[in-house]
Amino acid sequence: MLFAAREGPGTILYNTGLTLLRSTLGFLIGFAAAIILGLVYTLNPVLREAVRALNTVLQSISVLIWIVVLVMVFGVLSPLPPVLVAALVSLPIVLAAVVAGLDTSSRKLAELATMLGASRLQYYRDFLLPSLAPSLAGATRSALGAALRISVVAEAFGSSGGIGYMIANYYNLAEPRGVFAWGVILVTVMILLDKLLLEPLEKRAARWSIET
Amino acid sequence: MEHRDLALRVINVYKSFGDHLVLNGVSLEAYRGEVVAIVGPNGAGKTTLLRIIAGLENPDRGSIVLHGKALLVFQENLLLPWKRIRDNIALGLLYAGLPREEINRRINEASQLLGITRYLDKYPWQVSGGTARKAAIARILVLDPDILLLDEPLAGLDIETRRALLERIKMIAHERNKTIIVVDHSIEAVAEHADRMYILSHPPARIEAHIDLRETSPEKRLPLIYKALSSLKL
Repeated sequence: MLFAAREGPGTILYNTGLTLLRSTLGFLIGFAAAIILGLVYTLNPVLREAVRALNTVLQSISVLIWIVVLVMVFGVLSPLPPVLVAALVSLPIVLAAVVAGLDTSSRKLAELATMLGASRLQYYRDFLLPSLAPSLAGATRSALGAALRISVVAEAFGSSGGIGYMIANYYNLAEPRGVFAWGVILVTVMILLDKLLLEPLEKRAARWSIET
Repeated sequence: MEHRDLALRVINVYKSFGDHLVLNGVSLEAYRGEVVAIVGPNGAGKTTLLRIIAGLENPDRGSIVLHGKALLVFQENLLLPWKRIRDNIALGLLYAGLPREEINRRINEASQLLGITRYLDKYPWQVSGGTARKAAIARILVLDPDILLLDEPLAGLDIETRRALLERIKMIAHERNKTIIVVDHSIEAVAEHADRMYILSHPPARIEAHIDLRETSPEKRLPLIYKALSSLKL
């Protein structure tokens, strides 16, 4: 309470909102890139292997490297590093789910689309992409959580606001209570996000599993 | 001599997957307006045969002569759970670019034929397995195929639903002059409603018996079939 009174609800809401905005934006960029790479994955065997290799590379690069490089490139006060690092963390998680979904997607679903006279675009739009919804919902849950956690770290390294920035600020002031309080806010936000949005989304998407 | 319009002729078809011979010179015929049952043990190549007829697989040897359009209803319903039953049935019609009135007319007609009109606005996960199966058949039926290929349409259905579905299938064949080919592993399940029956051997599959059931009353069909089979010493 003392902490809340000292920071003021405006500061808490502003910095929490900033972190949520950056991590969500980064997640959406990573998600969109994963979907595009997923479509590339379906085009031919060479591109399929290229996408697989790219995902392996992305998964094996440490988040710390991304953060340091992005802060060096865009500067300490830039809002971009937290957004981009959230995108780079989300991308391989979502792409792995897309690739797994495509690998297990029924050949018969493609045959059915062909028999019904669907064009390639109609097949993607009406059959393939919606069929990935259950695995994408699970990946969204993991990726958005990871994006939030990692963008906070990026904010701590270099940013002008956000939960991570506030934690780093209190750390530099040697005030562990402030660090702890912002840590509690972060955990609370993550739990609320998961329980109120991501878990119901995943349950709803499970209905979209095709009987095969 | 009785005149019947030939709808399909399968001529000496062979099919292997790797070293595994599945179809070993299968030949059969089907005519318009009849239900033909193809029965055989699991793994006998029934599905492969249907897929070849539908053009989804190529035979290694032999040929298929089709008089009209043949479409396959897969064993799995493959209804899209994110679309209502009505929209699932409409898919092929939309892709064909038909006007909305014609799409609605065909959907209503097919759903009445199959008895699923009151489920049209439900999602696939809100209906029973029998209704979902009928919806999968309706989705193909609205495309007006001359030959409807049904891959184990009775799988997973209870006895009453099986009987009702087969009665609808028979009605569609006879009243709409469609050729309907039903494959199943159970002779008992399809004997009552088939006009003719082909029985496949254990793999690699050949036609072991061809039995015309049109003139045989339902209660005499099974004895006739068993007699034919015993003479073959299967």
